[in-house]
This record gives sequence, C-alpha cells and structure tokens, in this order.
Amino acid sequence: MFRVSLTLCGKELGKRWSSCLAGGTGLPPNLRVVPNLVQLPRTKRLQPTDSSVPVLRKCDAVVPAHMKPQQAWVESLRNLEDDQLGVTELHPDVFAVHPRMDILHAVEVWQRNFKRISHAKVKSRAEVRGGGKKPWAQKGSGRARHGSIRSPLWRGGGISHGPRGPKSYYYMLPMKVRVMGLKVALTSKLTQDYLHIVDSLEMPTADPQFLLDLAQYRHWGQSVLIVDVNEDFPQNILQATASLKTVNIIPAIGLNVHSMLKHESLVLTLEAVKFLEDSLLWHDSRFTPLYPFRLPYRDFPKHS
Amino acid sequence: MSAVGKVLKAGLSLCQSALFLSARSFSSGVCSRIRMHAIPQPKNIDRWTEKRTMFGVYDNVGILGNFKAHPKDLIVGPVWLRGFRGIELQRLTRKKRMVGDRMMATDRHNLEKRIRYLYRRFNRYGKHR
Repeated sequence: MFRVSLTLCGKELGKRWSSCLAGGTGLPPNLRVVPNLVQLPRTKRLQPTDSSVPVLRKCDAVVPAHMKPQQAWVESLRNLEDDQLGVTELHPDVFAVHPRMDILHAVEVWQRNFKRISHAKVKSRAEVRGGGKKPWAQKGSGRARHGSIRSPLWRGGGISHGPRGPKSYYYMLPMKVRVMGLKVALTSKLTQDYLHIVDSLEMPTADPQFLLDLAQYRHWGQSVLIVDVNEDFPQNILQATASLKTVNIIPAIGLNVHSMLKHESLVLTLEAVKFLEDSLLWHDSRFTPLYPFRLPYRDFPKHS
Repeated sequence: MSAVGKVLKAGLSLCQSALFLSARSFSSGVCSRIRMHAIPQPKNIDRWTEKRTMFGVYDNVGILGNFKAHPKDLIVGPVWLRGFRGIELQRLTRKKRMVGDRMMATDRHNLEKRIRYLYRRFNRYGKHR
C-alpha cells in the first residue's frame, strides 16, 4: 500500500516538476476549453531587461527584501510609435498582490448596492382611499363576511406584504477590504497586460480619431480608462475624450474597481502611480483609528 | 394483386386520418397566456451611456482623497435614507424625526398610523413581547 502511494506521489511530483521546467504557458493538459472561445491575437511584449533600459521611476516606499518590484514600460501619447521610452518600477504590495477574486467580487457588489435606494412602494389597506365602512351586515345577507372593501382579499384593495417605502441597501465594507480590492484590480490589470504607464497626457492634437488609432495600434483594447492625479488635464486630451464613449479620463481620486472592470485597459501617468502607491500602501502599516480619519491627526495627512 | 394493394393502402391511410381526426387532445398543464406571432426583436441596450460609463467613479473618495469626504455623501436620495439602513419601523421613525414637521397632513397621518401598527406588531404579538 505504501509503495502504491509513493509511486502516485512520485508521478504527481514529476508532473509538477515537468510543468515548471517546460516554462511557456503552463496550462494543464486536461483543461477543458470552450469550443467557441475567441482568441484574439495579442502580442505579449518582452519583459524589460535590466541592461541599457532607463529606469524612469523607482519605488518611493521600501520594497521588502524577499520581493522584487514589478516593472512596466513607460509610453507616451505624443507619437504612435512612442511605446518603449523607459521602464518604471511598481511596488509589489500594490501591483503584485494575491489575486483575491472573492474580494474583487465583494467590492464590485458593494459598489453596485451601497448607493441603491429603491423607491418601490404600494399602499396598504390603511392607505388605500375608502374602505372605512363595513360593506354589508355580518349576518343575514348570505355573502362572505367582510369588514372593509379595501382589505387585501378584495380587488382594488391594499397589498399586505408589498414593498414599503423608499428603502436603502447601504452598507460599508471594511476600509482595508476596499483598499485590497483596488490592489487586486491593479494587479489583475498588470498581469493581464491591460495596464499601461504613460509619462504625461500631452497630445499633439485634440483629434479623437488620433486616440482611437493610438489605442488600436498599441493593442490597448476596446475601451480605455485614463487616470491622472490632478484634475487639470491638458485641453487636447479633454477635447479628444469628450466625444468618445469608450475612452474616458478621470482623476486619480475617482479610481474604483467597477470602472477598472468596465474598461478593458487602464492607462496611468507616473504621478498617478506614485499617488496610488502612497495612498494604498499606507493602509498596510497604519494603526487602527481611535476616531474617524477625517478628524485631525498629528501625523496624517503626511506633511511632505 | 397491385390493385388490391393500392385499395388496401388507401383504406389504411383513410383509417389513419379518421383516427387522427377523432383523437381527443389532452393538455396536462397550463398553456402560456403569452401568445406571440413572431420572435420578438432583441432590445438594443447602449452599454456606454454617460451614466453607465461613469458609474462608481468617486466611490473611493475617502481612501484616495485623504478622508475629506465619505462615499455616503455621494448617495442621492431622501434625506432620512442617506447612509442609513434599517427595517421599516426604523426608517419610518427616522423619517418622522427628520422630516415629519414639513410633511403633508394625510401623509403624516398615514405615517403615524403605520408606525403605531408596526410597533404593536413587533412588540405585542407573537413570541416577542
């Protein structure tokens, strides 16, 4: 019996070891693929190598010794071909966290529901007009006994267990769960090649067709979400995105999981990356709040 | 022989059609009351309207914006329901506290009747009293 289990263990370890050695996609051989799966031809660019590629930005926060910073190409919106200007480092605790799909789902559901107020309301038997008088005497008429013509049994009567009044579905997830949702979304975008870093949002023209051509040339996808730190965007990009439905621009404060999932690819500026790393990493090493964070603390917000 | 065969076949087909005409039809369930004369056209929904595109933006205004605002400030709705969740009695008493003195007479009367009914229902009947 032990010999059988040993051989089985050996076979499994051998399979795992061979998949490690093979490299490549690492897909399991018994994967069931849907026959009508659409595989778009996507060119995966080579990972940036360390030699002779300018590192345009290093992580401000300390990267733990056992982790390496993620790297991503820095592009530009000025020309069509400007897509490998340099390399930027991304903090692994923001852009390489565990892919917690359950947290992502919870945050997305929260975003859909916490703002929801349903105004459905039906009248109960007390609110329907009329129905104060007993329609006929209790006994003698041969008909069933009734006390009011607006009881729920009657046609035109009130509804006994219907929706009552404007109802809210408000709830809050813990702050760290929402922060983790953002980190998981950013990680997913980076690992699936849908995250692009841009040095600044300057464009040569205000033509929306230029943006569309750029997105198509660089294989950004059907929809693009552009994020910058401040709200004062250059006029060119504002005019270009104003008329486009699937290419949108938001300030970094407006970043959220639903928008990241709705748009196929995400374009961040270098300042937006710095802002996101600062604000999301702070939650990893903060004390629990003694009073809400909107009240003044001595060392928060950080006075840089 | 062939003529006899043809006659037999004609008789068989007649018998079958007669059987079919005389067969009773049964239905064991309720037929759908929706009767359509053609397959309906699928409705075209624009997934990229302004509302759908910008849904969820600024939901993280607290954690990304130095906690100057809270996501519950974004909620559009009645005053007594912004950032509040409760059962019907709690919502009605909160409405009475916050908005009661500027409600219309009949609405206020109905509100008070409903509060009284719910209070008695929750606190006096059944297991909990």
